[in-house]
Amino acid sequence: MKRLGVAALMLAAVLVQVTWAPRVTVAGVFPNLALVAVIAIAWEGGVRAGMAWACITGLMLDLTAPGPFGPHALALLAGAYLTGFWMRNLDRESVLHPVVAVAVSTAVYSLILIGADDLLGLPVPPPAVAAELIAAAAVYNAALIPIALIVARKLHAPALTRRIEQT
Amino acid sequence: MYRRSQSRSTGLFLILCAAMLLLAMLSQQTWAAPARGAAKSALAPLEGAMTQVAGNVDRVTSIFGDVSALRAENQRLKAADEALRRQVVELNAAAKENATLRQALDFQRSFGHRMVATQVVGRGPDGFSRTLQVDRGTADGVKPGMIVTTSAGLVGRVREAGPHGAIVQTLADPQSRVNVFLSKSGLQGTVTGGPTTLQLQVEHSLGLTASSGEWALTSGIGGGYPRGLVVGELASVTHRDTATSDEAVLAWVNDPASLSLVFVITDFTPS
Repeated sequence: MKRLGVAALMLAAVLVQVTWAPRVTVAGVFPNLALVAVIAIAWEGGVRAGMAWACITGLMLDLTAPGPFGPHALALLAGAYLTGFWMRNLDRESVLHPVVAVAVSTAVYSLILIGADDLLGLPVPPPAVAAELIAAAAVYNAALIPIALIVARKLHAPALTRRIEQT
Repeated sequence: MYRRSQSRSTGLFLILCAAMLLLAMLSQQTWAAPARGAAKSALAPLEGAMTQVAGNVDRVTSIFGDVSALRAENQRLKAADEALRRQVVELNAAAKENATLRQALDFQRSFGHRMVATQVVGRGPDGFSRTLQVDRGTADGVKPGMIVTTSAGLVGRVREAGPHGAIVQTLADPQSRVNVFLSKSGLQGTVTGGPTTLQLQVEHSLGLTASSGEWALTSGIGGGYPRGLVVGELASVTHRDTATSDEAVLAWVNDPASLSLVFVITDFTPS
């Protein structure tokens, strides 16, 4: 049931990202809700859950983008894995860490996406433009992560309570 | 214990990466194109519904302060202004041709192309590829390579098409290239895409200079686009005596964020 809820949430994030989000474009970028949601899940539910949802959400994004299936899934996967590394080694209670984690993951996600597009012969922006877009996207996504964490925490709360009761 | 968990995560990461790379390679093959197109069309109805919901939300929020009525009026005036401006531009450009050619060109522009009206149901998922998703596909005669336009001017080109949906590469896409001529000076140039503005490289010609306020129309050179479609207005020009071309910023006639209805020209085949 929880998985269905998360799946519905991810589908909603993808649909909002490709329909409504471009209306709130700032400095040439709009929020990457799918990436923010995947990182919030990886932060709250663990790196493996994050990677699984990264693949599913990435494939949904690939359905809306030109080119083959896989580049968005691959880029999100790297973001989730990086978040896993981050949270293993740092204090998970600090709000600053997920904010920095999502900013770094956005940069990695973007670089992988540009690299994959370039490899597949799809259009890529010039390096200077790409750098500007990546910086703006990192700031935009970082600003959204606290809200995403609250939602992810609520989704994972029942499981966490059960685990505590069992112990 | 911690190390085992970390190595398991790394293993899973590598397996999933390999699976996604394999999927990308397989789905890029030409024999997989129909299946890929069909799969991409599957999400179009959901995107259409979501676009409608977003539109309704916009309408509800705009009720405050009677903004809705003002917006509708503004849109109507904007559309009328765009149509008038297009007419002025086309007439100015056509004045450069002789009477016979002008008649033929006007006729072709007004009636010569068959078009399919299609609704924009979604946009590209990231800021790097500027694309639109539309709700018409191969079942309606839309094919990859076809030109997409609005009443204001050129939008882009169909990149991929499924049975009931297609992905359009807009002029804002970094790899987009359009050959144009300027309405007053007649100079030729190439428009390239960018995230916020379109860039135009104007070729030098003896005694002629490009100036702000001129309109750029497709030249038809290269056979990629039909001649005479409005692309945009020159916002600023940087003259460089030492170079063989001038740099200019072009204000695109279409705002990709607010496009809702576009037309696919179905009887023009790019060479």
